[in-house]
Amino acid sequence: MELTRRELLCRSGLGLGAFALADLMGQAWADDGAALNPLAPKRPHFAGKAKRMIHIFPNGGASHVDTFDPKPALETYAGKPLPTGNLKTERKTGAAYPSPFKFRRCGESGLEVSDAFPKVGELADHLCVVRSMYTEVPNHEPSLLMMNCGDIRFSRPSMGAWLTYGLGSENQNLPGFVVLCPGGYPIQESQNWQSSFLPGAYQGTFIDSQHTELPKLIEHIRSDSGSPKEQREQLDVLLELNRRHQEKRREEAALEARIQSFELAYRMQMDATDAFDVTREPQHVREMYGPGTQARQLMIARRLLERGVRFVQVWTGREQPWDNHSDLQPAISKLAKDSDQALGALIRDLKQRGMLEDTLVIWGGEFGRTPTVEGRAGKNAGRDHQSSGFSMWLAGGGVKRGHVQGATDEFGVHAIGDGKVHVHDLHATILHLMGFDHEKFTYRYAGRDFRLTDVHGRVVKEMIA
Amino acid sequence: MSTTLRIAAVLSLVSVVAWGQEQAKPAPVDAEGLEFFEKKIRPVLVDKCYSCHSADAKKLKAGLRLDTREGTLKGGESGSASVLPGDPDHSLLLKAIRYGKDDELKMPPKGDKLPPEVIADVEAWIRRGAPDPRGGGDSKAADLAKARRHWAFQPPKDPPLPAVKQKDWVKSPIDAFILATLEANGMKPSAGADRRTLIRRATLDLVGLPPTGEEIDAFIKDTSPDAWEKVVDRLLSSPLYGERWGRHWLDIARYSDTKGYVFQEERRYPYSYTYRDWVVRALNEDLPYDQFLVQQIAADRLPLGEDKRPLAAMGFLTLGRRFLNRLPDIIDDRLDVLCRGTMGLTVACARCHDHKFDPIPTKDYYSLYGVFASSIEPKEPPLIGMGQKTPANLEYETEVAKLQGEVTKYREKRHADILAALRQPKVVADYLMAAQEGKSLKNDEEIRSLAQKKDLIAFVLGRWKSFLDKAAKAKNPIFAEWQEKPVRETADRLAAQLAKADAADELKAVLSGPESPTAVALADLDKLYTRADRDKQRQLENKVEAFKASHPGAPQRAMAMEDGPLHEPHVLVRGNPNNLGEKVPRQFLSILSPEKREPFKEGSGRLELARMIASKDNPLTARVIVNRVWGHHFGGAIVRTPSDFGFRSDPPTHPELLDWLALRFVEQGWSLKKLHKLILATAAWQQRSDDVAAYKEKDPDNRLVWKCSRQRLDFEAMRDSFLAVSGQLDLTMGGRPVMLSENPTGKQKQQAETIINTVGDPTQETFSRRRSVYLFIDRQNLPGTFRNFDFASPDTHSPQRYTTTVPQQALFLMNSPFMVDQSRALGKRPEVAAAADAPGRVRALYRIVFGRDPSDEEIALGRRLLDQPPPPPVVWKPGPWHYGYGEVDEAAQKVASFTPLPHFTGRQWQGGPALPDPVAGWAYLNAQGGHAGNDLKHATIRRWVAPEDGAVTVSGTVSHKNKGGNGVRARLFSSRSGELASWTLKQLEAEMKIKSIDVKKDDTIDFVVDFRGEITDDEFVWAPVIQMKSSSAANGGQMIEWNAASQFAGPPPAPLTPLEKYAQTLMLTNEFFFLD
Repeated sequence: MELTRRELLCRSGLGLGAFALADLMGQAWADDGAALNPLAPKRPHFAGKAKRMIHIFPNGGASHVDTFDPKPALETYAGKPLPTGNLKTERKTGAAYPSPFKFRRCGESGLEVSDAFPKVGELADHLCVVRSMYTEVPNHEPSLLMMNCGDIRFSRPSMGAWLTYGLGSENQNLPGFVVLCPGGYPIQESQNWQSSFLPGAYQGTFIDSQHTELPKLIEHIRSDSGSPKEQREQLDVLLELNRRHQEKRREEAALEARIQSFELAYRMQMDATDAFDVTREPQHVREMYGPGTQARQLMIARRLLERGVRFVQVWTGREQPWDNHSDLQPAISKLAKDSDQALGALIRDLKQRGMLEDTLVIWGGEFGRTPTVEGRAGKNAGRDHQSSGFSMWLAGGGVKRGHVQGATDEFGVHAIGDGKVHVHDLHATILHLMGFDHEKFTYRYAGRDFRLTDVHGRVVKEMIA
Repeated sequence: MSTTLRIAAVLSLVSVVAWGQEQAKPAPVDAEGLEFFEKKIRPVLVDKCYSCHSADAKKLKAGLRLDTREGTLKGGESGSASVLPGDPDHSLLLKAIRYGKDDELKMPPKGDKLPPEVIADVEAWIRRGAPDPRGGGDSKAADLAKARRHWAFQPPKDPPLPAVKQKDWVKSPIDAFILATLEANGMKPSAGADRRTLIRRATLDLVGLPPTGEEIDAFIKDTSPDAWEKVVDRLLSSPLYGERWGRHWLDIARYSDTKGYVFQEERRYPYSYTYRDWVVRALNEDLPYDQFLVQQIAADRLPLGEDKRPLAAMGFLTLGRRFLNRLPDIIDDRLDVLCRGTMGLTVACARCHDHKFDPIPTKDYYSLYGVFASSIEPKEPPLIGMGQKTPANLEYETEVAKLQGEVTKYREKRHADILAALRQPKVVADYLMAAQEGKSLKNDEEIRSLAQKKDLIAFVLGRWKSFLDKAAKAKNPIFAEWQEKPVRETADRLAAQLAKADAADELKAVLSGPESPTAVALADLDKLYTRADRDKQRQLENKVEAFKASHPGAPQRAMAMEDGPLHEPHVLVRGNPNNLGEKVPRQFLSILSPEKREPFKEGSGRLELARMIASKDNPLTARVIVNRVWGHHFGGAIVRTPSDFGFRSDPPTHPELLDWLALRFVEQGWSLKKLHKLILATAAWQQRSDDVAAYKEKDPDNRLVWKCSRQRLDFEAMRDSFLAVSGQLDLTMGGRPVMLSENPTGKQKQQAETIINTVGDPTQETFSRRRSVYLFIDRQNLPGTFRNFDFASPDTHSPQRYTTTVPQQALFLMNSPFMVDQSRALGKRPEVAAAADAPGRVRALYRIVFGRDPSDEEIALGRRLLDQPPPPPVVWKPGPWHYGYGEVDEAAQKVASFTPLPHFTGRQWQGGPALPDPVAGWAYLNAQGGHAGNDLKHATIRRWVAPEDGAVTVSGTVSHKNKGGNGVRARLFSSRSGELASWTLKQLEAEMKIKSIDVKKDDTIDFVVDFRGEITDDEFVWAPVIQMKSSSAANGGQMIEWNAASQFAGPPPAPLTPLEKYAQTLMLTNEFFFLD
């Protein structure tokens, strides 16, 4: 968070006006501007290893036993019931269903990744794979809320809202918390990125990344009624009128803040155009990410992170693409193929730019899937929801590299042992990496101090480099 | 604490957060230590020790009490101190939990040793001095007695008016309280504001709109002594007042027009608006606030007479989130809005454990819970409409009956089909086999899992099982063979016999007699349903609900509650509905009840609860509302945590004033209008808003009211003011919500589309011009515009609005179609158009926008924009879709002529501004469909022009819905291959899928609709999707898609003229946005 004055000037796009404002208020800029500019950069409790974060959300519940948690024991029991019996999940499941994907050891760490994700596997030495995730309920809605907001039912601020509330954003010309999802909303919709009782400024800005034209990406970003030059002339007159008005009201910082907001908005129009236009990436970068929507949205995400956006969440698609109750093998093959190259490229790209060490990358959804089969075994077989054990991975941002955290039992049903990671623990760990003591990072509302981790959460030190 | 001291304490709290954030009160001694206790120590004591060592213990062990500070320090029968602050090694408690040597005390007993980190915590806590906020006494009664001393639980006292020095400033007793505090701090009030400022401030404050130039002039010229009073009276008697202040109440009531996240059911509340309209009316009629509350909590229990409209008041309770219909969560939300909203009590904290700070035990929570668990929402909400049925009402009723009939029809058909399937011999044999296998199963759970395994219906299997049990007992000969040899072969043979048409009656009765296991009643149909059946029925039911929520003829109903079966509440331990604790009566909160508390007696107790809340003896209710009203008028309340008056609340800046206001409010019949009048008549409120540097430093938040704080317009006042000055404000009151914009995204869009489709009005604007209080509020996906302007979150009760400044606000103001529309309209107002020259136009605009004349410099500044050349006309390149009319050459099988429809309304293309057009007649096209033209020469044509070579697939549906007329003919033509398809439609829908049409670049595909010889009710829906496998050089092999609905477009709006741009600029100024 140690921004130089010069950096701040550039990134905030505020120019000298911001400092005039800070002086006017007789206050230090970094921590006290919140009332006027809720997204002004702020310092966390301590210097976090990560400064920004991207959460890639394979929504629907990606199967762990087919991706990042190999279970050879399922082969032994193939077609037979598990000796431990089946969990009560949403639907009926049958016999053990060994993964149709092969796992191989990757990198120096020898971390096992399935061949659904060969390119991600190449980067195994950068990954911290958590195989012992667990959450409360094997239903999408409560688990989505838990993963995003830390509670299975009540209206609570999302992780992105907490982070932008706590850290502000390093770019005032773009929203601080951006949500990309092609084609529409995931299940549970905008509650996944809600600000709840935090101010509306901390809510995620949803962008349908299926679109390629900017005006469809960000509301009101373009004027239909004149050129930028004409708008500049208009804003100059506005500025002049506001300055005259302000002369007799010099002490009122809110007036200055509003004056500045027009200048920011004017610049946002340019910066957003630039940030969302992936055609400005050089050819070799676009080739590295590959074709398709997932590649495009990950490239957009990287451009946003690079410009100082605090938190970007990238969903696979509307509703729940990874909810593979049937046709699991072809579905996962396609879903993984659509994103594998781009995910690998994202990590390489961040690394090449020197951003990986302070950018926390996480890949993981609301829960995993049963190792037992749903429907009939064979080509159309599927798996049901499973909340008692699933996988996700993290990279960059101060997490241990080439590390496997925790485990599930031999069939992949339950997270077991001391290394279990509840979603609250994941949140505590993420907050820690971002520089917050999750127990002290609170907000007073309705007579209570609320936290992302409610009254739970353990910082999983083993995952931290 | 004397006033001076308290003020000093307040002033030490220099805060940088926005007004709107509830702030912490000053840190008590060793706040960190107490926090440590709350987080690390108390939970362990509660979980591990209280069961034997507290007042609630069944049998107190060793005389040791660990639930009070005193007991914890003193220890039990052993005689040695349990906890010796600062000295862990001599604290018996620590010794016990350390599980020392064999002969020593070991707690918790039976080897349930605490984890080492917990023991370390206890040690650290004792070393720290054992900070412990719990009552020093040893009973809950003592805690309660102490709690009662908190200022908010004390009855308001009528304070003597304080003596002040600057007597001539005091216009009202209120001023004396304000001035006394200022003087005690060595400060002086600000001078009075001028009349222009005052009337602008009062008008926006009371009615949420700016005053007109005439109103300002009239007040400035009025020299009568009651000039001000007349202004305030006029504003308070305007119906606009209820819309403005009603919205403030809707924040408290977390009002929304939707249920929040639901899985499949209709999201909209069909009658939410009747609550909103009730609130507006109640405020306009100045319904006494106590009755205002009672009606919202228990109107169903009041003797209402003919006028049932107050039933709608209970929307206060019912319009919350539905949490996927989980009742405990729904009740929790209702308790929260009730207690924080009316009494500033954070009761919801006590759902899982006794409130940590305030005197709200979990038992009290469940006493109130019982009241709401004993109340239900009637399945069909009660009618509140008055008067005669309109034709729209009648149409509505017919249509609802028809849609309802579809549901019934579906149910009956599925019922017959499922029963027939259950009587198939193979199925019967399956059930016989399964029943045999499950012979020994006792409980339903086991039967369910067996049925699941066998792919059978559990309910039917259960019936077969008991049927066969009975048959066995009765030695029914039909089943003799089966019982002897229960194998598949026997089952098949028996099943075949049973199913035979010519079987004897006893045999037939097994499958079709009244006792038959397969004779499941229609009422039990749901138990036979598969997921697909349920989904399908839900779909049909949703059609009914969506229709109810959108048809203009739907009669008004109240989202009411009524008493249901009485629920005897238990504490739900840790909030878990499966963990029943102690039984509690339905009764009011202990802290607000007399020593001897009586359980509620009448039904659920809701009315008694309402009366205890809305009582003059309730120390909170009047204080809470006068504080809220004060907060809105001054931009900062006396208690700055307006929905939390508990121990952690901000202490009142002017406690005596708060009491004085509360008492006068009750004395004056709980009249909000009288309260406004009282406040607006004060010198305090009439102060200028200018800053005083020295005071700003001392009291930056103006807690001492040394000026009237400058306030920014909130979202509603802003939007309504734009519409007011543009001259476009639609002052229609009440009714169903209207959409902020018809061009929203995601789910909003889907919802907007259903509304448009069901209440289609082709002339409707692309956004509403009604007052903002009537906008559709979707709590699940609130449009960004609301959020960006700090609109209250409709999720839960909202104590205050935030005031943030983000660039998205400016983007809306600069670029949104709404603002462009207001700017255009303002520029075109007759007063502006009538002006002879540029300075005249500037003057006219200043008068409309600011209610004042511009200075010469301001005129010159205005001319910088006004004197610019007009913008060049826009050149528009339409996409692949074209909208027109024309004629088909029947002999050649080709579209012979195509004339573009020339006029775009913002929603659709048509012949001219009015329908029918002299040339094109009724022909129009919009995103979803259109209307046929008046004859065959004017058939409506939606045309797609191929941008490259390829093979095209056309899909979608085409339909005609209206009853009248003879329907329409829809035809599809390719310029290369002639007619591709044709449909004649009258109240019909057809699927369309036409594959592999070869096209070359610039070929056309035409969607032609004609009137079939009779131009009546010829609206149609036809929004095709075209997919093309490209064969062009550039894109060969790629699939490209065009969607007529989502790509529907008109020309971009003309750019703003210099005058309109200037008009917009004035509306964006701080002068317009801030109230001096």
